[in-house]
Amino acid sequence: MSRLLAEALAVTAKDLRTEFRTRIALNALGLFALTVLAAVSYTVGPYRIAAEDRPFLLAVLLWIVIFFAALAGLDRSFVKEEESRTAPLLRLAASPTAVWLGKLGFNLILIYLLMAILVPLYCILMGYSLVLVGGFVLILVAGGFSLAVITTIVAAIIARALTRGALFSVLSLPLLLPLLIFLIQGTTGAADGTAETVANSLRAVVSMGGIMTVVSAALFPIVWSD
Amino acid sequence: MPDGVRISFSDVAKRYDLRVVFKSISGNASPGEVLVITGPNGSGKSTLLAILCGLLRPTRGTVSHIRNGGEAARGEWRHHLGVVAPAMAVYEELDAMENLRFFARVRGIESADERCRQSLELVGLDPGRRTPVRGYSTGMAQRVKIAQAVLHDPAALFLDEPGSNLDPAGKQWLGEYVGGLAEAGKTVVLATNDRDEMIWGHNRVALAG
Repeated sequence: MSRLLAEALAVTAKDLRTEFRTRIALNALGLFALTVLAAVSYTVGPYRIAAEDRPFLLAVLLWIVIFFAALAGLDRSFVKEEESRTAPLLRLAASPTAVWLGKLGFNLILIYLLMAILVPLYCILMGYSLVLVGGFVLILVAGGFSLAVITTIVAAIIARALTRGALFSVLSLPLLLPLLIFLIQGTTGAADGTAETVANSLRAVVSMGGIMTVVSAALFPIVWSD
Repeated sequence: MPDGVRISFSDVAKRYDLRVVFKSISGNASPGEVLVITGPNGSGKSTLLAILCGLLRPTRGTVSHIRNGGEAARGEWRHHLGVVAPAMAVYEELDAMENLRFFARVRGIESADERCRQSLELVGLDPGRRTPVRGYSTGMAQRVKIAQAVLHDPAALFLDEPGSNLDPAGKQWLGEYVGGLAEAGKTVVLATNDRDEMIWGHNRVALAG
């Protein structure tokens, strides 16, 4: 187990080092998120939505920005391995499970980094006030994890396809849409102070993340090796 | 030889949709031998090499790696082989030492830094050089790939046109190194069209164009 963890950490560390030297995924995620945030805050702003609609509509906008930013950049770790012809040596050197865990770790760091910058900015610019801040943070953490798990396995599946850009969105969306609905419900609950809604949404998000983790762990060695 | 790997392949064929790359190729490489795969461009040398090292599945036929008297599971092949091929690159954003350190960590090599330094010195590269591989000449990048392939002291080495981009001195060193590996009981499979490299071999499999 410790050997597997060491291998996975080596993959994550290598991905972070190459990413911070090229900034391909960071630029894709960051530019998309900040551009959409600027557009939304300029056109909608904190006062153009009626007070009773704010918890729900601002939750929808927040998760749309996070989701599409994720779709813009979270496929890069696998696609880059194929494009730069480094994938075969990685297949020969590392165990498939370590590669999956390592890539998942990298995507988790990217998505949490994105959230750490984007969410406070969004709350300030859009004047989004939350009653249950702790519940909101839990929704973000669970949502980020589930998002990273789903995009990691889809990225692995599409990495060797020729039309990988379009395929990533097409294959990810059906898996992400139910997650998106629960995350919006949970965030709305955190904004208007409905603890029961937050708890129910959190259960659903954690369950989806858990199921996708198990499915990915079983599926990845086949996807990666053949 | 306890550390050797016998690679045996029988009736191996590969087809991509309607394009037949090759039909019914058989052969074997024993510990202490250099098996040379030759053939014109497009005859499938690199494809056969990828099949033999487990990166591709054949359309038909069998490949086995016999080690310590038993057949190794396909998923375990990666532990006893090293590969150098034009279709496989190291990480251009990392320097040579960072590349080797990464491969050493995922292979679980102990005393990784020392082993990485030895491998780089073996291929004539300076372990202290901090230039990313992107800034290397093609010959130096080829040396990094060779250092990566021998880092874990594999029992079998697969070389696809290994002398490409190497200068004459580098090619001579590589020939001597491959000879030394065979003498040490390692198995070497070499895909090449270069006459200078063909003479390193003991056995030959010729693919038709």
